[in-house]
Amino acid sequence: MSENSSKDPVVHLDRNFWIVTAVLAILSIAGIVFWIVAPITKFLPAAVVEADEIDQLFRFLSASSTALFVFVIGYLLYFSIAFRRRSTDAPDAIGIQIHDNHKLEMWWTILPTIFVVVMAIFSVRIWYGIEVNNPGNGLSVESIGHQWNYTFRYPGVRGEITDAMHLPVGVPVTLQVTSTDVIHSFWVPAMRLKADMIPGTLNTIRFTPKYPGTYQIICTEFCGVNHSVMDKQKVVIESRPAFDAWYDGWVAKNKNASDELPKASAGAVALSGGDAAAGQKKFALTCSSCHAVGPFSQKIVGPGLKGVLHDPAHPSLVNGDPATPDNVAKLLQNGYSGSLGQMPNQTSNGLTNKDIANLVAYLDSLK
Amino acid sequence: MQTHEQAELHGGGVADHIHPEPQTFVRKYIFSIDHKIIGLQYIITGFVFFILAGLLAEVIRAQMMHATGGVVDSNTYDEIYSVHGSAMVWLVVIPLLTGGFGNFVFPLQIGARDVAFPWLNMLSFWIFPPAGLMLFASFLMGAPQAGWTEYPPMSLQGQAGTSMWCAAIFLVGVSSTLTGINFLVTILKMRAPGMTFTRMPLFVWAQFATAPLLMIATTALAGALAALFMERQFGVPFFDPTKGGSPVLWQHMFWFYSHPAVYIMILPAFGMISEIFPTFTRKPIFGYKMIAFSSVAIALLGFMVWAHHMFTSGLAPWLQLPFMLLTMVIAIPTGIKIFSWVTTLWGGKIQFTTAMLFAIGFIATFTFGGITGVFLSAVPFDLHAHGTYFIVAHLHYVLVGGSLMGILAGMHYWFPKMSGRMLSEKVGRWTFWLFFIGFNGTFLPMHWQGLMGMPRRVAQYDPQFQGVNQFESYASVVMTIALLLFFYNVLWSLRHGKKAGPNPWGARTLEWQIPSPPHYYNFKHVPTVFAAPYDFAEPLPYTGLEDELTDSPGPQPASSSSS
Repeated sequence: MSENSSKDPVVHLDRNFWIVTAVLAILSIAGIVFWIVAPITKFLPAAVVEADEIDQLFRFLSASSTALFVFVIGYLLYFSIAFRRRSTDAPDAIGIQIHDNHKLEMWWTILPTIFVVVMAIFSVRIWYGIEVNNPGNGLSVESIGHQWNYTFRYPGVRGEITDAMHLPVGVPVTLQVTSTDVIHSFWVPAMRLKADMIPGTLNTIRFTPKYPGTYQIICTEFCGVNHSVMDKQKVVIESRPAFDAWYDGWVAKNKNASDELPKASAGAVALSGGDAAAGQKKFALTCSSCHAVGPFSQKIVGPGLKGVLHDPAHPSLVNGDPATPDNVAKLLQNGYSGSLGQMPNQTSNGLTNKDIANLVAYLDSLK
Repeated sequence: MQTHEQAELHGGGVADHIHPEPQTFVRKYIFSIDHKIIGLQYIITGFVFFILAGLLAEVIRAQMMHATGGVVDSNTYDEIYSVHGSAMVWLVVIPLLTGGFGNFVFPLQIGARDVAFPWLNMLSFWIFPPAGLMLFASFLMGAPQAGWTEYPPMSLQGQAGTSMWCAAIFLVGVSSTLTGINFLVTILKMRAPGMTFTRMPLFVWAQFATAPLLMIATTALAGALAALFMERQFGVPFFDPTKGGSPVLWQHMFWFYSHPAVYIMILPAFGMISEIFPTFTRKPIFGYKMIAFSSVAIALLGFMVWAHHMFTSGLAPWLQLPFMLLTMVIAIPTGIKIFSWVTTLWGGKIQFTTAMLFAIGFIATFTFGGITGVFLSAVPFDLHAHGTYFIVAHLHYVLVGGSLMGILAGMHYWFPKMSGRMLSEKVGRWTFWLFFIGFNGTFLPMHWQGLMGMPRRVAQYDPQFQGVNQFESYASVVMTIALLLFFYNVLWSLRHGKKAGPNPWGARTLEWQIPSPPHYYNFKHVPTVFAAPYDFAEPLPYTGLEDELTDSPGPQPASSSSS
């Protein structure tokens, strides 16, 4: 260490320093070994393939950090003890006047850089597998957060399922989440994955279930007074036949579920006597900021509404109900918030029941 | 009133323009423009708010004693942790580290007679106590409940006090911004002759890196708060998705401030450690330039990583990647600092004063908190840990184990300069050990809780965590006792402490070369500096200080006609 600042004394590291260093090295290795063999899944099962990968990353981060931490704390304690002021020291005794050491400083810039690069490579590799290159193309499920429960939607099942989210082992899943009110989060500790459920936004996580069992879903974004107890619902991972039986049961049970949607309407609007001309005016004032009077594909925020009641290519409304005048009125009353976006309800749009009747008459006149 | 021209010459040794010392109690201690008094006002006010926010923490720990809660109902609990977090961040840690210690210490350290804009400084301070009272007064009208982050749409549903919260934090932000401008100009323009950048004490470097953060980042917060306030009060749709707003927009704006704010809350503490280490090891700090420049590097990088708080909010994957990598890069300058401090101990003659104990404890706990921060920067791990008690543990390790330990180290170090009396070292040692044990006992197990599935901000929890929570609550009592001892020590020592004299620690920065407490003008003659301060083998690198400790009269105010 001779290339120090001009007048720094030459440093001699004594034997104790090297003994301490050896002890710290041994402790570091012990720490690394501990994290490699730590039985993580004994405490928290790994329910999906991705959980194992995240555990791998956790082991790596913990092991390398433990090694680093042992050295920092070890030297901190050793130097504190070895270089304490002793009662035999003169009152004006000073320490060894070292200002810097370029070689040492270079090394402890390079070493953390290497550490960070290795960690980045490791993290990016696992991140790529989970976030980017994850097919998730086997089963598409939606979960919607509400104050204060989750509902689940499956392709082919009408309406929303509330009891539990069933998933078959070995099938890649794409889970899309959103919310109808405030931000919730969908976290299954056993899956090591979470996605925030944000109203107006669809968030996606992809994973492949692998370990059958029943796992808690927990909300981790504060969502109101009952946030603490929004942890009662479960993900059930089960074999393919068990899943199929459950799924077929729901298909049959919810065949006519459209009227049982949780967001079902208030009182019906009397549609007779709707004035299409008045409806056209109201449409221009209110609806046209999001909807064009053009074909379905002419999207502004929502779809174009020409022929909304007469379009064989689009027989259903956004909420899955058949496109009938009554259902359109209901949609105007209640609005929509779900996986396909939002539409404000009657109050937010400032519509009277008469306006709704007029609008329906107008929409019906578009062919 | 001084003219613009005179203000330019104020202090700095270029041309001394001296105002007469105020004589009335009000102008001396209440509406003072003296940076030392303002610093003390910040420190006293900050600690008063610390006690209030600490009492809220006690309620939190009491509530956590049982899985079913039961001390307060859910609604009240949500109010309590929201105000606890907001107050600790905005009314305690930031004001204490910048307005408090910044104001008191760094103008003395650069040999200035005051900050650049003393009246602005007074304004900054006097915005702060009313804003703090407003935050606590929000309890009267239903306090905010969505945590200190107040994410909409939840905060749009929040009680009336949420708007009060917006206004209060906005005002604190104005105060911070003004302080940032003031400090930056002071450091750039008012250093004593000869005090080049590489001769500045490291606490000054830390304030120098912090000031632009206060100035730039806080304005983003002000925008976010104004938007939230307008949406809540007047229905202007910024964040409500049913009206075309975006809830994620708030998160971006909030964290664009609040991540730099993390460094506002830690860089000054880094600076304190860098002052305390040389003094009590009797050695120059190891790697002065590396420590100074790494503060600036951290401040710069701090602006580029905000979205790492939002990895689960549905950021596009290509956006996650740069935020993950840049966050990891911050580990490098932080690591350099930690290695430099540890190496400074080598070959020292270490005196274990209370300040030094807190500084060493700081390194241990901050390193731990920094490491868990690196964990959280890795997106896949964050997908698991985000929003859980792991985050609660991490943030308390950096804010209590980091910032607060820094503040306590700084209090024990600079108390003699502020008051002219010594704190009791015996009580101080008890304070440190009880605090260190209590702190780790309270927050270390939270990492485990988070990993095992306990979400944050819950008034009730899964019974499997009850044992751990009770242990933490008992440990928090130990921490509380330590803090009570600290307050006892301060109050007792103010009257009965040993007289400190100008330089009880044998420290070498400028503030220790003048009487304790310093007189109104700080320096009888503005000193000249000709080397960095930490060379214990050399004579002090200052001239012009010969009269400081004598009875010779101080500088004379300019005649009344010129001011």
